[in-house]
Amino acid sequence: MSTILGILALAGMLVAPYFALIYASVEKEQKLAQKIFYFHVPSAWVSFLGFFIVFVASVLYLWKKERIYDLWASAAAEVGVLFCTLVLLTGPIWAKPIWNAWWVWDARLTTTLVLWLIYVAYLMLRSYGGDAAQNAKFRAVLGIVGFLDVPLIYESVNIWRTLHPPQLIRKGGLQADMFEALMVCLTAFTALFLALLFQRVSLARAEEELATIRADLQERETSPTP
Amino acid sequence: MGFWAQVGAILWKDIVVELRTKERLSSMFFFALLVIVIFNFVFEPGSEAMREIAPGILWVTFTFAGLLGLTRSFTMERENGCLSGLLLCPADRGAIFVGKALGNAVFMVVVEAVALPFFGVFMNVAVLPALGRLLILMALGTVGFSAVGTLFAAMSANTKMREVMLPLLLFPILVPILLAAVKGTEAVLAGEGLGGVSGWVKIAVAFCALFTAASILLFDYVVEE
Repeated sequence: MSTILGILALAGMLVAPYFALIYASVEKEQKLAQKIFYFHVPSAWVSFLGFFIVFVASVLYLWKKERIYDLWASAAAEVGVLFCTLVLLTGPIWAKPIWNAWWVWDARLTTTLVLWLIYVAYLMLRSYGGDAAQNAKFRAVLGIVGFLDVPLIYESVNIWRTLHPPQLIRKGGLQADMFEALMVCLTAFTALFLALLFQRVSLARAEEELATIRADLQERETSPTP
Repeated sequence: MGFWAQVGAILWKDIVVELRTKERLSSMFFFALLVIVIFNFVFEPGSEAMREIAPGILWVTFTFAGLLGLTRSFTMERENGCLSGLLLCPADRGAIFVGKALGNAVFMVVVEAVALPFFGVFMNVAVLPALGRLLILMALGTVGFSAVGTLFAAMSANTKMREVMLPLLLFPILVPILLAAVKGTEAVLAGEGLGGVSGWVKIAVAFCALFTAASILLFDYVVEE
């Protein structure tokens, strides 16, 4: 599974720049700065997908108590944070020439930043955790609470202030070639996200296996040979 | 023993412990006072800018003082294995959570009640004309803070870096209720009614309802061995 996804991701990431830079026409007002949109939006989409997976896997972990759901949640949080970081990096690069500021406290920017903070805290909780089984439960609780908070964060920051360009895609204001390029990039990023996620989960499983083998070996060494 | 009798017993236990030691309230209040004083050094006292950011300072004060109380709430239970004792009681886990959360809320309210006059005096803000509306906002802010705070305090008490972990987990989650409380306080102190900030009040109420329910459900998983 992870090999197929890896090949898909590789192919996707090879054609995505062509569609973003050459196939899609140059936007009239923003010129080349708009090109970052094709990487910015897919990154945002997959990072939210990642946080949603964290939520679902966390609920499943608390419910079924199976180790594998925790591995999925942790892996999704890691990959989600990675793409969320990309969103927070590509955004300012675009904002500087267009808004003439690296950062503004707009609803979507702020929500993304707060989300990033929540899931970085999630990763920190994992590194500073004590007892492994208990820590997995704590992470699941944070994964659930954090996701439940998203609509409230968005709504509160929305009342606070809004500046981000409206979602053109929904309004149908996006030109056909731009829309196609965006879809290609979305697919490529989703494939890349899934490839990384599957890779991370299988790595975590290998780590666990290694840990059990080590513990087993140690036990054999310490116990007297019959 | 019914649910609320159990809640009452746990709340009463925390209050008795506090009445005998007076550790938590005194440290929380002193810290709140320090935050207010330090903000006066950082910004020009009596200036126009100071009046504008006063609501923010008020809530930073409450949040930091509350955080101190939360940390104590579960480290206290951990010492001498009190938490295991508490869990062995034939009490509903939900009741333990509500009791602890109510205790945290009560301590925070006491500290807020004492800190508010100092805030009014040091910041030169007329608190009295808006007192009723302010109390409603403070009640909402305190309930929301205590609900999520108690859940996370129970978690962070069992991690390696206890005191550090709690604010890292808690503050990002608190963003909606803090924004609502600060913006609501801003409007109320400027003489507006609660009707003018109904959007913020709705967010605060939604936060309190959602996270009280979620915390009661999730607390069971946090404390089980």
